[in-house]
Amino acid sequence: MKDKKEDKALRELFQDKLGNAEVIPAPSISKALMRKLILRRFLHFNVASFNVWYAGGIVIAGALIAVVLSSDPGKNEQTKQAPVSTEINTPLINKAEKEETVNPAVRDDAENETVYEAKGDEKSGVSITSDEDDARIHRDKKTNGVTSVNIPDISEEGLIIEDKTGRNNLKIAVKQSDNLIAASVTEGCAPLKVIFKSMIPPRDSCRWTFGDGGYSTDRNTEWLYDIEGEYKVTFHVFTAGGKKFISSVNILVHPKPVARLEITPEDAILPDDEIIFMNYSTNGVKYKWDFGDGTVSELFEPRHIYSKYGDYDVQLIAFSEYGCSDSLVVLNVFSGSGYFVTFPNAFIPNPNGPSGGYYSPRSDESAFVFHPVYSGVADYQLRIFSRLGILIFESNDINIGWDGYYKGALSESGVYVWEVHGKYVSGEPFTKMGDVTLLKN
Amino acid sequence: MMSDQQIIEGCARNERKAQQELYSRYSHFLLGVCLRYASDKAEAEDILQDSFLKIFFNIKDYSGTGSFIGWLRKIAVNTAITHYHKHLKFRYYVEIEEFVSVESGVSSFEEDLFTSDELFRVLNELPTGYRMVFNLYAVEGYKHKEIAQMLGIDTNTSKSQYSRAKAAIREKLEKLRKLKGNYPASNQ
Repeated sequence: MKDKKEDKALRELFQDKLGNAEVIPAPSISKALMRKLILRRFLHFNVASFNVWYAGGIVIAGALIAVVLSSDPGKNEQTKQAPVSTEINTPLINKAEKEETVNPAVRDDAENETVYEAKGDEKSGVSITSDEDDARIHRDKKTNGVTSVNIPDISEEGLIIEDKTGRNNLKIAVKQSDNLIAASVTEGCAPLKVIFKSMIPPRDSCRWTFGDGGYSTDRNTEWLYDIEGEYKVTFHVFTAGGKKFISSVNILVHPKPVARLEITPEDAILPDDEIIFMNYSTNGVKYKWDFGDGTVSELFEPRHIYSKYGDYDVQLIAFSEYGCSDSLVVLNVFSGSGYFVTFPNAFIPNPNGPSGGYYSPRSDESAFVFHPVYSGVADYQLRIFSRLGILIFESNDINIGWDGYYKGALSESGVYVWEVHGKYVSGEPFTKMGDVTLLKN
Repeated sequence: MMSDQQIIEGCARNERKAQQELYSRYSHFLLGVCLRYASDKAEAEDILQDSFLKIFFNIKDYSGTGSFIGWLRKIAVNTAITHYHKHLKFRYYVEIEEFVSVESGVSSFEEDLFTSDELFRVLNELPTGYRMVFNLYAVEGYKHKEIAQMLGIDTNTSKSQYSRAKAAIREKLEKLRKLKGNYPASNQ
């Protein structure tokens, strides 16, 4: 609906403003038009309207043929060697009060150009008064004979019609470069892929230069700019007709920001610790943090407290002033944080009696007690079984290990199986199993 | 003062005075039509000349029914289309699929915000294909099917070019409006 309304507004704007708008043409247009009109009528041969115009035309055409014949290549040299200006007056032709003079003037530089003038006087509708009235025939001998003949044009004002077609072609040639090429984008973030298209006939060849040293001769092509900067892309067309056109477009490539982050503390304990997100991004002006638990922040360096332990992926997106962006994701931030529990595979109990399992990591150098080496363990349960599957030791305190005694008696030497499970301080659970050999001295 | 009828009859008899009168009476209006289809005034004047030649040569075919000015306008539009076809091979018109259309959100235009000159310039700067379709559809009021026939293109091309032309025009108008610093009230 909104679209329709906008459409209508736009149409009405142009209909109202331009539908009947008036623009004043240049004064010369009227004159040129009248000249063209007369020329068209002249060329529009019609027996019924045969009149002096056609008679005049025939006379001029006759004169033309005479000129063409007299300038055949064999005779050219003679003409060139006679630099004297000559003037030949053809007999006056009096027909219907029309007077016509043909003045072939051969000048010094006659190799290049010979000008014939035909003067006429007319009474039918148009009167030619000035001496400038002429129908000119330009002969260009450079290319061996007559190459271009401007049709004699007799105008109301007595002026020569300028060669409008030639001018128009030129104008069009300049114009076309505007519509020669198009780029999918002219501005964007590095790395920027630009698709270039051109609409040139298949017979024409072309060359793109991308402004960074690269080039292509394909009609349609694409280029990847991975370094920021402003590039001038130039498109050359070489037409089958030997013409050359150039068109260019500027491509602006903005630098890409780089997102970098660090999370502290390194061995954070969830959910207790407040996590600090450090931002080391470059070229950024705006940031978006996603903490992975459904909460986000746009602060430069936000702080966040998680409500529970979990596998959280933290994402940072950095935006530059041009709207370019870069993102960085750290997967499963709080796992593999350096917490561990490991057990030895053998120990030698103290033969002098049970110790209750208390040990200190430093003092237990003789390995009287079976206990783990650990870090960051919050929750802990250790169970040890005999080979027959009888539970012979259990501890929920990581500071109490097995001293090798079962019901007050030193156990047999041999292999025992242990199983441990619990949680690290980060909240991450663990379960491990293994065997240990009880040795005796 | 000659009446239109006298002018038409005079032109039909090939009378110079009538032709000149016709030109001075209608050339301003017709150049306005031509300028909408051209990329600059020089091109518009070329179209204008060709239009008048057609008018003078065909005026005896004017039936007298329907408005004379409408007949003149139709000839100018047709001449502009002929001109477009004639120069088509020189104009590399490019259709880019990746064309990024900018929705400016302009929903209404205050009548007096833009001058005719500015609107002409907006049209002149459009790619030729857009300009043709936009003029024929929005200003002349032809249907897409008719336009497709006139320009020798597909109906869907006419439609898509029209919508692209609209987007391009909106963008230009919006820029112009910003340039003029004339913002409508934001809560409008």
